[in-house]
Amino acid sequence: MNATENGMPRIPSLMETCEAWHRIAMNTKEFTRLVTTDAPVAQTPKEVVWTLNKAKLYRYTPVVPEDQRKPVPLLMVFAIMNRPHVLDLRPGHSFVEYMLQEGYDLYLLDWGAPGPEDKNLKFDDYALEYLPRVVRKLKSISGSAESSMLGWCLGALISTIYAALRPDDGLRNLILLTAPLDFSDQKSSGFIRWTSDPSFKPEPITQTLGNIPGEMIDAGAKMLKPVENYVGSYLMLWDNIENKATTEAWHAMNTWVRDTIPMAGAAYEQLITEFYRNNALIKGELRIRGERVDLGRLTANLLNVIAEADHITPPCQSEGVMDLVGSEDKEIFRVRGGHIGIMAGRGAQKNTWPHIDAWLADRSGSARAENVDGGSP
Amino acid sequence: MSETNSKFDPFDPTGMFKDLRDNSVDAWAKMMVKLVHTDAYAESTAKMLDAWLASSGPFRKAVDSSMSQALAGMNMPSLDDVTRLAERMTNIEIRLDDLDAKLDTILSRVSQDRQGS
Repeated sequence: MNATENGMPRIPSLMETCEAWHRIAMNTKEFTRLVTTDAPVAQTPKEVVWTLNKAKLYRYTPVVPEDQRKPVPLLMVFAIMNRPHVLDLRPGHSFVEYMLQEGYDLYLLDWGAPGPEDKNLKFDDYALEYLPRVVRKLKSISGSAESSMLGWCLGALISTIYAALRPDDGLRNLILLTAPLDFSDQKSSGFIRWTSDPSFKPEPITQTLGNIPGEMIDAGAKMLKPVENYVGSYLMLWDNIENKATTEAWHAMNTWVRDTIPMAGAAYEQLITEFYRNNALIKGELRIRGERVDLGRLTANLLNVIAEADHITPPCQSEGVMDLVGSEDKEIFRVRGGHIGIMAGRGAQKNTWPHIDAWLADRSGSARAENVDGGSP
Repeated sequence: MSETNSKFDPFDPTGMFKDLRDNSVDAWAKMMVKLVHTDAYAESTAKMLDAWLASSGPFRKAVDSSMSQALAGMNMPSLDDVTRLAERMTNIEIRLDDLDAKLDTILSRVSQDRQGS
């Protein structure tokens, strides 16, 4: 197909023409399959050990003998408006799989998809109704009085609130990933800029729709970088359509992105009014079920993972919390990458995961045995 | 966005003008990111959303109301009925979880007493 020596394009033979068109047809078929079908995700074996409403607590089947496991179990808390499958995207590229191999007793809280009956769920419920029960169950199953928690995005916000309100619940280590906590800068990201505009009124949205549809949240996230998400992603796929490794990775990520879930209406309204607009958590004015959330009471060892190129939770929304928490052992870990890429991108396996493991391993030794009197549902 | 392709391939519809395409998409992407991060964009989308809610709200209410009436006429539960039932189920689940916690405490104490004696 290349140009000839005199620079003019060579006319392809009939056979070459047929082969080329066949290749285009096959690539188009593969492209359509990748865009319209779901890849198998979240395949690591696990069992449901607790449920409440739509929420489920999973325990992953350990792969390391009991005597070699870390004594302190790790609970992963993902955001409330996406499925947590991104933590266990596909075999060989799964944070869950990696941590199991490193010897963690691993649990995942899946909030589930809220139905119309859940439209009044707020952060109060997630932080004080669900999480303490999950931690109690986790302690009861693992036999450990202490636990570690890894919160991602809004899961990190919920984890932070819980850790500040229940400092005596046995939380030894807290890992925050791209945590949206500090909204002092009202122009720092597209989301906060859009929702802090006086014309934007969350109340009519929740009154009309109840829960916020997943498609609406997905469209909002994609509109932060519209061309990359609606055009660039598909061009990248087409350009690499014959590269199996790249297309498999794209397919798994697209499956997760497409699997949207609604967000409880009251939580959405609370996020915009109390957090985005009033910055109540950082100001120390946030009240959860009547209790003031004082970040100074958060004393767990803290690892704050920040994505330097995060356009959803820019670094400034995560950094400010470090001066306010009461933790003596605290660290910021900055990673090159975006909101999801730092945990699910190519560099995650070489950079983010080993750092989280190393930090946590140093702080996961010899847990106290569980005395169930200590639980607080 | 993609690898540079200086080869001429009449059978690759996107590859032929890849450099041109990538440069245009990059420029377009930067322009759109700037656009969506302006106050004017925030204000216009908020107003559009408001207008959509204002226009679709009454229609949605009318549909819900007529649906509830139709279901009631057929002796079938409405969405509100099912929602209330689901809320009650969640409350029962919470009570069950409280009992589970208490049972765990009792079993633990019994086990500790046995080990002590």
